[in-house]
Amino acid sequence: MINTILCIILAILMISIGGKRGIKSFISLCLNFILLIFTFYLIACGFNSVIVTLLGTIMFSYFILFYVNGRNIKTKISFVSVIIVLILLTFFISLITYISKISGFGEESLEEINMFSYNVNINMTNITVSLILISLIGAIVDASIAISSALYEVYENNPNLNRYELFISGMNIGKSILGTTTNTLLFAYLAEFMTLIVWFNGLNSSFSYIINSKVFASEFIKIILVNIGSITIIPITAILTANKLKNTKE
Amino acid sequence: MSKFSIQRKDIVIFTIILILSTISLVFVNNNFKFYTSTIVKINSIEEEKIDPITEPNILGIEEDYYLQKITGTIMNGKDKGKIISLENERSTSNVVDEKYKKGDYVFVSGNDITGLKRDVYIIIVIVIFIFLLFIIGKFKGLLSIVSVVFNTIIFCIGIKLYTNGLNIILLILIESIIFTIISLILTNGVNKNTLSAIISVIASMLVLSIMILLIAGITKYKNVNFNGMSFLTVPPEAIFTAELLIGGLGAIMDVCITITSSIKELIDKDNNIETRALIKSSRNIGKDIMGTMINVLFFTYLSGCLPIFVLSLRNGVSLTNYIQANFSLELTRFLVGSIGIVLAIPISSLISIKFYKRGDAR
Repeated sequence: MINTILCIILAILMISIGGKRGIKSFISLCLNFILLIFTFYLIACGFNSVIVTLLGTIMFSYFILFYVNGRNIKTKISFVSVIIVLILLTFFISLITYISKISGFGEESLEEINMFSYNVNINMTNITVSLILISLIGAIVDASIAISSALYEVYENNPNLNRYELFISGMNIGKSILGTTTNTLLFAYLAEFMTLIVWFNGLNSSFSYIINSKVFASEFIKIILVNIGSITIIPITAILTANKLKNTKE
Repeated sequence: MSKFSIQRKDIVIFTIILILSTISLVFVNNNFKFYTSTIVKINSIEEEKIDPITEPNILGIEEDYYLQKITGTIMNGKDKGKIISLENERSTSNVVDEKYKKGDYVFVSGNDITGLKRDVYIIIVIVIFIFLLFIIGKFKGLLSIVSVVFNTIIFCIGIKLYTNGLNIILLILIESIIFTIISLILTNGVNKNTLSAIISVIASMLVLSIMILLIAGITKYKNVNFNGMSFLTVPPEAIFTAELLIGGLGAIMDVCITITSSIKELIDKDNNIETRALIKSSRNIGKDIMGTMINVLFFTYLSGCLPIFVLSLRNGVSLTNYIQANFSLELTRFLVGSIGIVLAIPISSLISIKFYKRGDAR
């Protein structure tokens, strides 16, 4: 009910403010939703969730970059950068998730899940890795396209810049978007944290109990990993764009 | 174009970070005596398969259960140094249990393992994050950490006030203004641009809050499944509304900074630019950022449904039932955030154009 109302409001706002592109963005959002459910469904069927997620996120970025932003040199570079970062991060995220045991459900969810049997025969560590990869894909695609487009503009205006100068310029652009991205993600997570903080507060939990608990550690580590992802994309996009722009014109 | 040269200031900051990181890593690996609960280091594990304690589930899915026989050394308290034997039952999925391994540090109460000591991993990811942030963002990158820390502290103070009886919606609205001022000044500096962005954020938040409160009042969250918040002892509705507002705030700030800086760029490049041209450009910028920013929120929020989705579907819940019953909370968060993004585009464009144009006339 509430979601239907909100969805209609969002559609009206997107179309009235974004015009044709608003319609396109809204359609792509709906398609993303279907693709997301499909990815979730495949994971629930028992396929290796990390592989399904990698393929799924590559599909998402293909779709966001080439359908929404158009196929050109900028989006192609972004696509390659996103894939490289995804693969690098998969290893890193798997390692951290494995050693810190943040997968599965913490004690706060027991009430929510007690109607289910826990015999599901699926690797929960992989599920957590998938969750983190999916939650960062939007942020890294956003950062990557912002850098490659801005750097392309810089190059068009100053074609004499060499590879190193272009790279530095790309890093500077990355720096300027870093703060706002971190900020958006922070508040999105603070919102989810709120329930937890109210809960811990009601239980009068000690600080040491909170930071060692699975639910806090998993939320916290997830936030940091997503932020690490949106930092790693910066130098990789900058290097690839600088290289590609120089190579194609020579 | 600014150069990327390494300055003395950077070397000093880098050294400070390096020293602080080393100290915290050493501390967190040796802080056993600060804990009141017993900590055990696992020395060896023998594992044997046991008969499942539970029945196969509704779809007939079974899994293997194991008993881990653990020997470990007590690290703190009056029994420090003694060897202790523990047992831990685990399944292959680890939905609610853990598979421990040699070298893990665990909390023990009586003869039961209550959980892993996770503070080490929290510090490890923070250290990696700070190094990356400094390498890429230099000093300015670190400022965003300062902003995060400040905001979190204010947030926690707010929750304390809430438990003392303050209205949470009012509290969040006041906190939003404080968050906005701190974050924008730290990431953007003290200047006209920041002031314009702050006004835009507050105006957009006002519109969004009125809208949310109206919709929440009319629908009274009918049919919304608050299972995901069932562990709270207080009514979830008010807290959820407050969460919606906080989630929207981050997105609104991002939009307002982007739009305000772009309009400033346009005016800086061409001082005589007409208001009509400015409006047109800001509309274009808005269209550019709208789609990708909504995507960021989409994945950030909806990914959180994955574990419960998998658990439900593997317990025989059908896809349509799941979507109807369980997606609601995350979907609502996402929709409110996105509405915030779209609303903030015209509001911040209008305010910053008014702001700069009036400033020029004087």
